[in-house]
Amino acid sequence: MSETFVIVGASLAGGWAAATLRQEGFDGRVILIGAEPQPPYERPPLSKEYLRGEFSFEGALVQPPDFYEENDIETRFGVRATRVDATEKVVELDGSEHVAYDKLLIATGGRNRRFTTPGVGLEGVYDLRTVADSDRIRAEIAPGRKAVVVGMGFIGSEVASSLRRSGVDVVVVDRNRVPLRRVFGEEVGRVIQGIHRDHGTSMIFEDTVAAFEGAGRVGRVATARGRSIECDFVVVGLGTEPVTDLLAGTGVRIDNGVVVDEYLWTGVEGIYAAGDVANHYHPVFGRRIRVEHWQNALKQGPAAARNMLEKDEPYEDIPWFWSNQYEYNLQYAGFHTEWDELIVRGSLDERNFVAFYRKDKRVLAAVAVNRGKDLRRSMPLIKAQEPVDAAKPCDLDVDLRSLASVARTR
Amino acid sequence: MAEFVSISRLEDLGEGDIRAFDVRGTKIAVANVDGTFYAFDDTCTHMGCSLAGGDLEETTVICPCHGSEFDVTSGAVLQGPAREPVETYETRVEGGSLEVSS
Repeated sequence: MSETFVIVGASLAGGWAAATLRQEGFDGRVILIGAEPQPPYERPPLSKEYLRGEFSFEGALVQPPDFYEENDIETRFGVRATRVDATEKVVELDGSEHVAYDKLLIATGGRNRRFTTPGVGLEGVYDLRTVADSDRIRAEIAPGRKAVVVGMGFIGSEVASSLRRSGVDVVVVDRNRVPLRRVFGEEVGRVIQGIHRDHGTSMIFEDTVAAFEGAGRVGRVATARGRSIECDFVVVGLGTEPVTDLLAGTGVRIDNGVVVDEYLWTGVEGIYAAGDVANHYHPVFGRRIRVEHWQNALKQGPAAARNMLEKDEPYEDIPWFWSNQYEYNLQYAGFHTEWDELIVRGSLDERNFVAFYRKDKRVLAAVAVNRGKDLRRSMPLIKAQEPVDAAKPCDLDVDLRSLASVARTR
Repeated sequence: MAEFVSISRLEDLGEGDIRAFDVRGTKIAVANVDGTFYAFDDTCTHMGCSLAGGDLEETTVICPCHGSEFDVTSGAVLQGPAREPVETYETRVEGGSLEVSS
């Protein structure tokens, strides 16, 4: 009898998982369910080219519009999966309809962290996750308007960059000492701060928003340290949280997302997870990691699909992402949460470098500004997880590809 | 018929090398794969980075900015985020100099 594979979450991971099932020759039913009304689309442009009006939505679609019908993929867009019954093997949609599955992929991604600051409901206060969010912010953009950006993580940094490039006056408020400090640390954060400062972004650090103020529409932002910043609109970027509510009561373990093994399997019969939502065991790092970036969703969706087809392939791609801010290309590869020392190849001052996060003599991760070729060449070193002499990666005469004894990995 | 333009002395582009040249206002990258020359638009179709700034692995060029991969023999996209192929050009060697069609 023909099997039914259901994919909940119609974004990058889910969209590519559906395509992969067909590419691998699966001939059962494939049902792709997504809460947003649009077919799967790429989110990276939403804070960059799309937000600046340089890029059409059609250009951001993961697959051409007729792809799903042509590949006999049933789609339910604009419908929320509200509950999974793992015993009956049924997904509940919008609290009523039921869809039976033989295997299920959870690719629900993240939602923006909720925040409860007074005045958050005022008109003109936005956050950014979906194309609809990006459209609302885009409608506010005009030269000379004033924006406050709350939070200087990736979304905040990219939005600030796009707004400045569109002629908007930008003030950033961030609780840390430098941008992206949690990920990159103080030294690299200062480089990014310098880039934003040189492009005329005002930045307020070690302060938080106490209230959004205005009559109906936001007109000022009040901070905890007593500042009052006039503005025409606000964009808040305070991170995301994984969407796991639908799995309550299924026996699937939830801990910083959906816990899965290296095969992206939850341990519950027939249920897999991929993308932002998946806290997956990564063999290279010997621990579970959850990654909220494009390449992870792009690669993990297909990997999960193949394992649903019993290919038994562990997922061990090295996390990698990029961010564009002004004319700078920033890239990161690996995974680190702490490090003993930062070793730099190139120059932080000249904003042309790869910086390696080294712990116990191993390079866990690297970040590059305008040095993407070297970052890619660092991948084998990161994947090898072997001790490396601190002087070697900094030596410009050393080809980074030669530093790992294992073969080139991708 | 395609017109060829001389861009480089042959010995200046060794095996495994990739370099960009300005050919009548267009940036064209030329890759030397085991002694065979492949020419294609240097500008990545994704975000406009210079492909010659990336690595060449056999007949694949990898964009240094966002990792898009192109087949230098055909210009085809092998790996996104790029979606559109890059234009390719003919090459030939004439009297120790490398030429591309324009």
